[in-house]
Amino acid sequence: MRALRSLPPLALLVAALALPATAVAVDYPPAGNPGKGGKQVRKGKPKTFKVCKAKRCKYRTIGAAVRKARGGDTIKVANGVYRESVNVTGPRYDRLKIVGNKRKPRKVVIDGRKLKGAKAQNGVLINNADRVTVNGFYARNFRANGFFVVNVDGYKLTNLVAGRTGVYGIYAFNSKGGTMSRSEAFANNDAGFYIGQTPPQVKPKRSIVNKVKSHTNVLGFSGTNMRYVTIKNSDFFNNGSGIVPNALDSEKFPPPDENVISGNRIFWNNFNYYAGAPFTIPASGPAGLAGYPIGVGVLLFGSQNTTVENNQIFGNWLAGFGALQQIQLFLSDDEKLKEASILRGNTIRNNQFGLDGRDLNGRDMFYDGSGTTNCFSGNVTRSPNVPADNSVFAPCPGPAANTPDSDALQEGLSWVLSVNKDDPATFEQFWLRHPHAAQKGIKPLERYRR
Amino acid sequence: MAYMAGGVEGRDAPEQPAGDPLAEATGMDRRGFLSVAGGALLLCTIDGKQVAVRTPEDVERVDAAMASLRRPKSRRPRREPARDPLDSASFARPEPQPGGQLREYWIAARPVRWNVAPNGDDQWMGRAAPRPSRFTALVYQRYTAGFAEPMSAPRMPGPTLRAEVGDVIAVHFRNMGTGRYAQPLTVHPHGVRYTPDYDGAYLGDFTRVGGFVEPGEEFTYFWEATPDSVGVWPYHDHGPNHTLNSFRGLFGTIIVKERGEPIPDVERVLWMHSFSPQVTGIPRLIHCINGRTYAGNTPTIRAKVGQSVALHAIGGDSSWHTFHIHGHRWRDASGAWVDNPGFGPNEVVTAAFVEDNPGRWLYHCHVFTHQDMGMAGWYMVDP
Repeated sequence: MRALRSLPPLALLVAALALPATAVAVDYPPAGNPGKGGKQVRKGKPKTFKVCKAKRCKYRTIGAAVRKARGGDTIKVANGVYRESVNVTGPRYDRLKIVGNKRKPRKVVIDGRKLKGAKAQNGVLINNADRVTVNGFYARNFRANGFFVVNVDGYKLTNLVAGRTGVYGIYAFNSKGGTMSRSEAFANNDAGFYIGQTPPQVKPKRSIVNKVKSHTNVLGFSGTNMRYVTIKNSDFFNNGSGIVPNALDSEKFPPPDENVISGNRIFWNNFNYYAGAPFTIPASGPAGLAGYPIGVGVLLFGSQNTTVENNQIFGNWLAGFGALQQIQLFLSDDEKLKEASILRGNTIRNNQFGLDGRDLNGRDMFYDGSGTTNCFSGNVTRSPNVPADNSVFAPCPGPAANTPDSDALQEGLSWVLSVNKDDPATFEQFWLRHPHAAQKGIKPLERYRR
Repeated sequence: MAYMAGGVEGRDAPEQPAGDPLAEATGMDRRGFLSVAGGALLLCTIDGKQVAVRTPEDVERVDAAMASLRRPKSRRPRREPARDPLDSASFARPEPQPGGQLREYWIAARPVRWNVAPNGDDQWMGRAAPRPSRFTALVYQRYTAGFAEPMSAPRMPGPTLRAEVGDVIAVHFRNMGTGRYAQPLTVHPHGVRYTPDYDGAYLGDFTRVGGFVEPGEEFTYFWEATPDSVGVWPYHDHGPNHTLNSFRGLFGTIIVKERGEPIPDVERVLWMHSFSPQVTGIPRLIHCINGRTYAGNTPTIRAKVGQSVALHAIGGDSSWHTFHIHGHRWRDASGAWVDNPGFGPNEVVTAAFVEDNPGRWLYHCHVFTHQDMGMAGWYMVDP
């Protein structure tokens, strides 16, 4: 850590990276103890409520059906545009299912346009109701989140689309044991998908993110202090950066711990949103604070016991993979935060970089060499790494203490410190561009044009 | 729960009452079912009372009771247990010895549809294997890190855990039980060293953290491979419904070797066990090796003359078995030559030799009812 302290621009970096995770002025429910809300058992058989826009329908809004429903019931929603915010709060809704169009979720739209106040915040809010399923909806134009789960033990968010929100597309906070699957998030001015502040557990309930698609967001996936999450079989492309587990003291329980990023395609994350975006750049959050580099596939910004394996990582102009100690926490006087800043026990193995040489990253792997028991094995690289002599990339199992490399750290810091959001070109100054290989149905995005 | 005795096989199916689902599924009415299952009586404790488990309905009752069983510390004890300071003692997590390593396994317990005779034949006798042959089993299945993907098809036994002296085995266990199998499950090892937290045993009100892993939960067990761990050992479920769930397939093997000790050219583990009618809903006792019955379905082992061979046989039910390989002899632990050693529940015998006798050979349990009812397989030796 001696190398870290010798660096003069740290204060600047700290300011740049001091990101409040829940960045905008949103009235979120307070964090509770997930799964401890008490159980309410419904008497009688579960009911099914049908919602549609036609006059014949008893329930013409999803909210009206939710107010009548109880745990275990099913609400079936017909195709249409529903201008409302759906609020599912309290254990009386345990095991509720809200089902739209599973095969064509864009046919069932929950739209926040023209809504005001709290109703404009979230498309669907699930608070303190366990094992709720939301299946087959498209949430758009909300000021905060498309689908938001908080204080929950068990959730299933599947076949969803979330776009053009003010913060996150699909978001689980202070929750455990959930599933996000077969869903898409795009044009969100923070992260497309976000799992944050997972309570530490002795017998953890893992959350699974499977077969999702995240693009055209500031971050494809953000995980502030997330735990026990497996992200697999998913595509993260055309975001500012792809997948970013991060340790912050603005939320409880740093650092991110025991996560697995496996079998994903993470490519073309070079979306320079400062040069134009389908959303406004907020005053805060990663975009507002210019806190993250643009052009990185996977960035561990403080992480412990995390495995990144079997991913295809290509066409990211700054770096395919990066691992950096959380310097802000490292400089804290709080010993717990200092401990949480350390990169520890992370395993980076069997990843394929550069798509067999057809779609190279600017650099394949960046690591500042800090921390303990971090290791790299079986990765197939095509572009240079940072540091170029590969001295920091210890094979698995990792050494008791890794070897910090001050030059590598300096280079990584320069990517973050030499940028100015009022001058979008500064985010591209360290990019190393290469030709992209064609991907069916997707075009690379660097600068957004309306 | 306890498995009281071996079963009775081969009854003719009596007439079926119309509309009886058991009869439709098994070709046998309830009286007939009881007649074949009665010889394989299971005893189980539900709510403090010991009950006999004779029929599929009894098993359902047990499963339902186990599924609703609450975590010991969250319920009011029947009576205040006589707590000992040891019950709240904490123990350090083991670390690998110098030169040793942490060997991580991601293992889930999950229900699967299981076919005991997927090829449909008894190749030894040249006849069809009895039907029906499918039921829902519970297996341990190995996954990649974070339970991202299964590493192989579901198997019985579960994944073999390997270590060398000085290593620590870390089993990241996930309970993926669903439906009637949504019960607390565990992994309990033999042979290795562990502290009480990593025992994986349900102990009623004295249960430690690893002895009650509920559906959807994960727990990581840390087990040390010490010098006295060298050998082959079983692991199995030891949750509150351990006997029934072990009989359903929740078992596997640990192999610990000396540091640097070579692995034999051919090393296989053969669990000799049976599925009772209560477990399968099939009105016959099914004798198995590694979850399969009759040669052609059980493992066919292949070796070459000159190769070192180690075949480990483990008892996986409440019966006594023997392990016989035609055409071969080997030394037992005392140094005596044997070709048919006996072993009991969760006991292991190893046949280790250098192959010198080519041909098609049978291996089987030499308890006659076991061998004749499927506990046999092929051992093929190429010149």
